[in-house]
Amino acid sequence: MSYILAKSKDNAILEAGECGGAVTSIFKYLLDAGIVDGVLALHPEEDIYDGVPTFVTDSEDLISTAGSYHCAPTMVGDIITKYFSDKKIAVAVKPCDIRSIEELIKRHKIQRENIYTIGLNCGGTVSPMTGRKMIELFYDINPDDVVSEEIDKGQFIVELADGSEKGVKIHDLEKQGYGRRDNCQRCDVKIPRKANIACGNWGAEDGWTFIEINDEKGQELIDGAKSAGVLETKNPSKQSVEARSKVENIMIKMSKKVQESKFDDAEDMDAWKRCIGCYACRDICPICWCHENCELNKSYFKDELNIPPEPISFQGVRLSHMSFSCVDCGQCDDVCPMDIPISLIFDKLQKKYYNRTGYIAGVSDDIKPPLYSPDKIEL
Amino acid sequence: MSDDIKIVGLLCNWCCYGGADTAGTARMQYPPNIRIIRVMCSGRINPSMIFKAFEDGADGVFVGGCHIGDCHYDAGNYKWSRRTKIVQDIIEEFGIEKERFRFEWISASEGEKFQKTMNEFQKTLSKLGPLELK
Repeated sequence: MSYILAKSKDNAILEAGECGGAVTSIFKYLLDAGIVDGVLALHPEEDIYDGVPTFVTDSEDLISTAGSYHCAPTMVGDIITKYFSDKKIAVAVKPCDIRSIEELIKRHKIQRENIYTIGLNCGGTVSPMTGRKMIELFYDINPDDVVSEEIDKGQFIVELADGSEKGVKIHDLEKQGYGRRDNCQRCDVKIPRKANIACGNWGAEDGWTFIEINDEKGQELIDGAKSAGVLETKNPSKQSVEARSKVENIMIKMSKKVQESKFDDAEDMDAWKRCIGCYACRDICPICWCHENCELNKSYFKDELNIPPEPISFQGVRLSHMSFSCVDCGQCDDVCPMDIPISLIFDKLQKKYYNRTGYIAGVSDDIKPPLYSPDKIEL
Repeated sequence: MSDDIKIVGLLCNWCCYGGADTAGTARMQYPPNIRIIRVMCSGRINPSMIFKAFEDGADGVFVGGCHIGDCHYDAGNYKWSRRTKIVQDIIEEFGIEKERFRFEWISASEGEKFQKTMNEFQKTLSKLGPLELK
């Protein structure tokens, strides 16, 4: 593990990318050198609230994926499983993305040698609808006028076409029920250390990307990009490294506080009464992959007349299948048409499992999904 | 009414089912509330089976397997013992008292242990009363 600062040598990428454009440059190198078949990254379709995962095969198109999109919470784990399992790809990953990829590798759904993962430090994402509403309410700005947004120093900052910026403290937004998604407020994995490299602006000098190189593959990536002439690098100062770990620690501390207060609500949750049994939470879950053979579809659990389904035999069954591997990506919350905070209970059980076994989904690497192991151990 | 308490019992063929049989042939008295389902191994039991039992009206679920180290299939009861933790964690979240779910290692010769366990479990459940799911 080592740290470097990096910066793109391509002016167009520098302009379009966030703080140094190193991520886009590395993608460009991978595509141009023919190391990967394509790059999976976010591309804004209509506006900045509409990030669409896009498979880019021509390095000229990469420029449209540059920049950060906090208002477009997506998940790549299940996309890779479904569509790219036989391709060599590079992908930009948030911590929850790489955690889901790790869990899927353990389930033999993704091949590790086929995939290059460029991690992005993540302080949290905002759901697009919440994002629009809060920009209207707290910023007094038409959400359609916003050309880019970023999260920096505890503020959610929006930028307008004329270059003016306005920021509001995330803490204040969240007190009013806006701000980051619930699962992001709880999340305590902020730097994707399982990805080949982890990039971000925390602790970086202006115009540079701070990169943590996590493994040999990551080192090869950086060396390759450097010798191909797309990237310039330098060593970070001691202050940089310290500033970065300070940001990380503050964020983790905040998350732990939220966990303590939120997990208590889970027990008396009566939101399950709103469930309409649409199975959207199961279908979107990156860890749940055996849909065609799902136990919930078996005749003894399928009960179309009983709406809402009994929580114990609906969510309970899903919980017993995968809660220990829940990466808290919050996709189930996002797709639920009845706005049930499903991820809360899954995350709570993952934490309970962690307290028993020390297993953090998608972060601990020494063990298989512990329930399937043939080992003769008791918990 | 304690007679109305319904217990679903999932017993492993090689040990606990034999233990229940031993209790029966020796005419040891135990509460008749349990409905026994024989399974080949406690390692065969999924958490979802326990949930299904609760959903369909069981007030308590009992699982009996071989003593650790004695599994007929080598490691089935280890697998089951790991699953029990998950079951306990999950039922709590949905408002089912964790005392309503019990598992025990009972060998084929331990008729007395089976009798004792059933008496205890029935007593616990009568105190809790019938299960009302939220």
